[in-house]
Amino acid sequence: MLRLENITKSYPQRGMVLSELNLMMGEGDSIAITGPSGSGKTTLMNIIGALDRPDSGDVLFRDSSILQMSPDESARYRNRNIGFVFQDHLLLPHLTVSENILLPASAFNITTEEYHEKMSYAGMLMEKTGISDLRDKYPYNISGGEAQRVTLVRALINKPSMLLADEPTGSLDSRNAGILGSLLAEINNELGISLIVVTHSGSLASKMRVRYTLEEGRLIR
Amino acid sequence: MKLKPFIIALKSLSFHLRDSLYQAAIVTVLTAIICGSLLTGHSVRVSLRRNLEEKTGSADLLISSGLRYFNASLAGNLTGKSSLRAAALTETGGYCTNYNNGETALDIKIYGVESSFFTFHGLQISGLDKGSVLVNENLARKINLNQGDEIILGFSGIDPLPSNAPFAPGENDKGSGVFRITGIIRGSEGGNFSLGSSQSQPYNVFINPADLETDGALHARANRILVEDDVHSTGSQVNDYLKQILIPEDIGLSVRVSERTGEAELISDRIFIDSAIVRAVTDIVPGSAPVMTYLANSFDINGKSTPYSFISALSEAMPDDIEDDEIIISSWLAEDLDAGPGDTLRLTWFDPGGGKSLKESGAAFRIRQVAGADFRYLDPSLMPEFPGISGSTTCSSWDAGVPLDMKRIRKKDEDYWTDYKGTPKAFISYRSGLKLWGNNFGPATAIRFSTGDQETIIEKLAGNIDPSVAGFSVTDLRVRNKNAYSRGVDFGMLFIGLSFFILLSCVVLLSMALKLFLDSRKGEIRTYYSIGFNNAKIKRLLIYETLLTAIAGAIAGSVLGYLVNYLIVNALNSVWIGAVQTDTLAPAFSVLPVASAFSAAVIIAILVVLIRLRYFLKDLSHGSREIFRNAPAWLSLKILPLVFLPALALLLLSALFRDSSTALAFSGGILLFAGMLPAAYLSFAARSKKPGNQSGIYYSRYPLKAITPIIFLAAGIFAVVITGANRQVITGKMLLRSGGTGGFLLWAETALPVGQDLNSNRGKAEFGLEVEDLKDITFVQARKLSGDDASCLNIAYVAAPPVLGIDPATIAERGSFSFATSLRNAKATNPWSLLNENPDENVIYGIADQTVLQWGLKKKTGDTLKYVSENGQLLNIVICGGLKSSVFQGHLLIGKQAFEKHFPSVEGNSVFLVDGNRDMADLYRETLTDRFAGYGISVEPAYEKLASFFSVTNTYLEVFMMMGIFGMILGVAGLGFMLLRNFNSRKREFAFMIASGYTVKRIRKLLLRDHILILLWGVLTGTVSAAASTWPSVAGGSSISWGMFIAMLFLISLTGYIVLHVSVNSIDRKDLISRLRAD
Repeated sequence: MLRLENITKSYPQRGMVLSELNLMMGEGDSIAITGPSGSGKTTLMNIIGALDRPDSGDVLFRDSSILQMSPDESARYRNRNIGFVFQDHLLLPHLTVSENILLPASAFNITTEEYHEKMSYAGMLMEKTGISDLRDKYPYNISGGEAQRVTLVRALINKPSMLLADEPTGSLDSRNAGILGSLLAEINNELGISLIVVTHSGSLASKMRVRYTLEEGRLIR
Repeated sequence: MKLKPFIIALKSLSFHLRDSLYQAAIVTVLTAIICGSLLTGHSVRVSLRRNLEEKTGSADLLISSGLRYFNASLAGNLTGKSSLRAAALTETGGYCTNYNNGETALDIKIYGVESSFFTFHGLQISGLDKGSVLVNENLARKINLNQGDEIILGFSGIDPLPSNAPFAPGENDKGSGVFRITGIIRGSEGGNFSLGSSQSQPYNVFINPADLETDGALHARANRILVEDDVHSTGSQVNDYLKQILIPEDIGLSVRVSERTGEAELISDRIFIDSAIVRAVTDIVPGSAPVMTYLANSFDINGKSTPYSFISALSEAMPDDIEDDEIIISSWLAEDLDAGPGDTLRLTWFDPGGGKSLKESGAAFRIRQVAGADFRYLDPSLMPEFPGISGSTTCSSWDAGVPLDMKRIRKKDEDYWTDYKGTPKAFISYRSGLKLWGNNFGPATAIRFSTGDQETIIEKLAGNIDPSVAGFSVTDLRVRNKNAYSRGVDFGMLFIGLSFFILLSCVVLLSMALKLFLDSRKGEIRTYYSIGFNNAKIKRLLIYETLLTAIAGAIAGSVLGYLVNYLIVNALNSVWIGAVQTDTLAPAFSVLPVASAFSAAVIIAILVVLIRLRYFLKDLSHGSREIFRNAPAWLSLKILPLVFLPALALLLLSALFRDSSTALAFSGGILLFAGMLPAAYLSFAARSKKPGNQSGIYYSRYPLKAITPIIFLAAGIFAVVITGANRQVITGKMLLRSGGTGGFLLWAETALPVGQDLNSNRGKAEFGLEVEDLKDITFVQARKLSGDDASCLNIAYVAAPPVLGIDPATIAERGSFSFATSLRNAKATNPWSLLNENPDENVIYGIADQTVLQWGLKKKTGDTLKYVSENGQLLNIVICGGLKSSVFQGHLLIGKQAFEKHFPSVEGNSVFLVDGNRDMADLYRETLTDRFAGYGISVEPAYEKLASFFSVTNTYLEVFMMMGIFGMILGVAGLGFMLLRNFNSRKREFAFMIASGYTVKRIRKLLLRDHILILLWGVLTGTVSAAASTWPSVAGGSSISWGMFIAMLFLISLTGYIVLHVSVNSIDRKDLISRLRAD
């Protein structure tokens, strides 16, 4: 499903971050990427999510290069195929929990029927993640763990092929980190959504089928 | 409910209300300034329209005969023909002195009006008795007049025969008298009646027209007809009505029959019949021919002389083959001179074109024939009705307007006069007579008709003479007023320009506020981006949001705009009166300026948003991060000498080369400015090296964040000071001949024209200027055709400024004045010399001040101004030069010869440029004021005249400075609030400082110190570079407003300190501690 070929990326201040990096991932796979701070994990996630571009190499999603996409195609790729979960929940403070969750549905024009479908899907996911009663609350009225689960539901609302989670438990206490880790694994198993998790947490990494360490710009299994 | 972008934007707006309010406040100020400026422009136009409409009252159309007069009954006849209400009046100029206190108002307008004038304007004022006058409030206020007071009026009297016409009797038509004021009338009652286009309130006197007559006319004369037009007649329609009713008598023409020949002839009360009328009449009546009869000083032959005789130039009665140098003499003359056919006699006469210069010319003629007593044209009626001659009983009592040597008049001459009156003694061909005596007043003294009786001729002429040939023109006052107020100075755009700094501050602040706002929402926008919103959609969301903010701000600004308008209009009526020269402006409201300002502000806001968003989204999509950048390699201490040394060198050179000092100093100042910015940059970049200043590290990492406000402050101060130093003052250069004074000492202007040439012995003797102390005094004299002032003192649009006729050779010889522009491809290099040229029929050259051309007349060199000459012919004046700022501002200069040709009825000079011994200037002034008191003279130093035009520019500069200072203060205050937001985003950094052992007090102190440093760098950079740039102006006596400058620095520093103090005190310990706990 996803193939990264000879990805190289450098920054003026940090020098080379990714060097000739290669990665293969099948449908429904789950991968954990660990590595020291500044090793380029977030950069790698951003490149996979079309939020950043490599200096060289190619990213192929279902055999199509995402680097050849126009900005609009790139946005559509993120909207339809990728779900992001960041360390900071990045919920929009002026929207309620349910509005935040349904926000990806507003990125492109959809019919009212489709929208209602997404609303009921959101209800099911909220039920599953235990945040149904937070529906009308604003992000500043919920806890960090709850916010992260809202983020997860938002990432799943468009039924993506792949979930990219960048330090999803980084700002959570161990209980909430455990809940979220289990949810991620469950989603991978039950919904068949491919999962790439960048984490420092050994416990979370252990829940993934494949584990890599990013060192000197390359993935080491 | 589906989440639509507009709903998301609304929700976001309410969440980020504080930031949005800040942006809205900036847009409010922006809108208020634009709206206030545009409303001011509208207010000035409305006030000007009201002012002009009040002045013209019920008059919609004006029929003017220019410098000539017509029968006042024409107005009634016009009403009878057209049903248009009309009133005749006489407009003339003069001066007015309060009999009790001697206070005098010059340049007043005197209107000879009947009761019909007041009825026409719907006023309950009956006609004026002889000897009584009404004055307007403005004049009463100026010279402290009350009802019942007596005034002395000096005026140009009504006499159809201009005093400078050949053989016009005595002095000019200067009239004067003592009159009693029977009432003072307000502007609303028609007191400010005026036919001019100016915002200034006139000084008016209304008088019985009979009091203005100086020639004892049988019927009332007038020179203007006001027409009320409810049916929107065109000028040409009214002209047609006028043509239909016009009879010869109306324009001073009469038809009489010669007793000797039985021929009818047309004569004029102006003696000479204008060429246009001659052409018109000879076209209308076939078999008519012009005749010219002139006074010869002498006929001489073989030592014998016959003095002061009339000679006629005829076309019809002369043999077909008569040569130009042949003459037919009467038998009386032949006998007196003992001359016969074939003899050559010499004829002398006073040159008709010489005015009062009395230049005698002469020519020799061969006697072709001696006419016997039966010669048909020994006709006494050929002598024109010279007022000083025709009624005389003896030759020695003639008043021919020229000095006659009475000793030469013999008894036989008196006998001839008694027996034959002015019967010509000699005859030449009309062709020859025209060559010798044709003049600006006309080519004929009569038109003789070979057929037809008196009544038939009058019938033929009635209704067939085009009014324009008699000098009539019809002006649509509605159109002229509309042009005057709509095409005049656009105060709307002017104040937008003057508020440049405020607008710039708003745009800069809005841009910075948006940057902070967007930066603070980077996370949100990344979220949108990561969940699949494309740039267009994100942009749309943010535009909705900012558009709503901008609209809210613009609505508030539109309301505030009226207040700004109110304040500006009140300032223009009081402290900034120098810019408008009137205190009658009133604030007005109109939807269009408000809508324009609203749209402009919203568009500006959206443009700023779009530009900001473009960079923001580009950075975001390319994954760039805010990182500090090291100074570029070239930016080091080594660069500073490379900038400062040339700057100092330029400043040194500016002290050595005074001619180029302004340019050199300005360049030096700019280089200093350019040098101080990298110095400030390096200074901030080096701050991290100092131990113990944690806060300083921020600006050492981001020195550009310190440099941006420094540039803003420094550039603002620099521009305001530079502008202030441009205040126009009289400098030594202006006193030179090449300067704006032309090197003249005094500028004098008389309300009544002076007929004598003041440089001639006769002229000097006339006014007692022959004394030793005045031996060096010389005059450049100019005739003046009245018009509306086109100088910067008039805010109304003027199409035809007053014309001055001067002798260009005198100016060119002196090398006076300089040109900003001159006609390209002109054969002559000096535009002055073109003033004597006639490129085509009715085309002449003219010169005006470049500023008047550009801003007042909206013309350029090479363009043509259209005038109507005295005899109704279109006169094209091609601008051949634009003068650098001079005392002639507001006037159009043409050559004296051209002036006399096209406006012969202007009886003398009204403008005098006086030169002589500079040390005697005060004496000159006193003497001229005394000797020409009867002409209503005002004398002022030429430099003061020039300086009076500076008041407008200087007021604008003052407004610009004040607005600039306000803009700077606004900008500094805005930067302070921006700092608040910046501190908010640096809470984490301050929290860590607390954790490191800093107290809040110390953090505040350090931040205050860092930011005061920015303030100081900005003030210092601006002040030092501006001072360096302007030192030549300051040293040269520029009246820079030091008070305003110091006030500006003080206010900027004080505002800066206050906002910094408020900003740093917003850092709250509890807030930081809780942040620390959270982290």
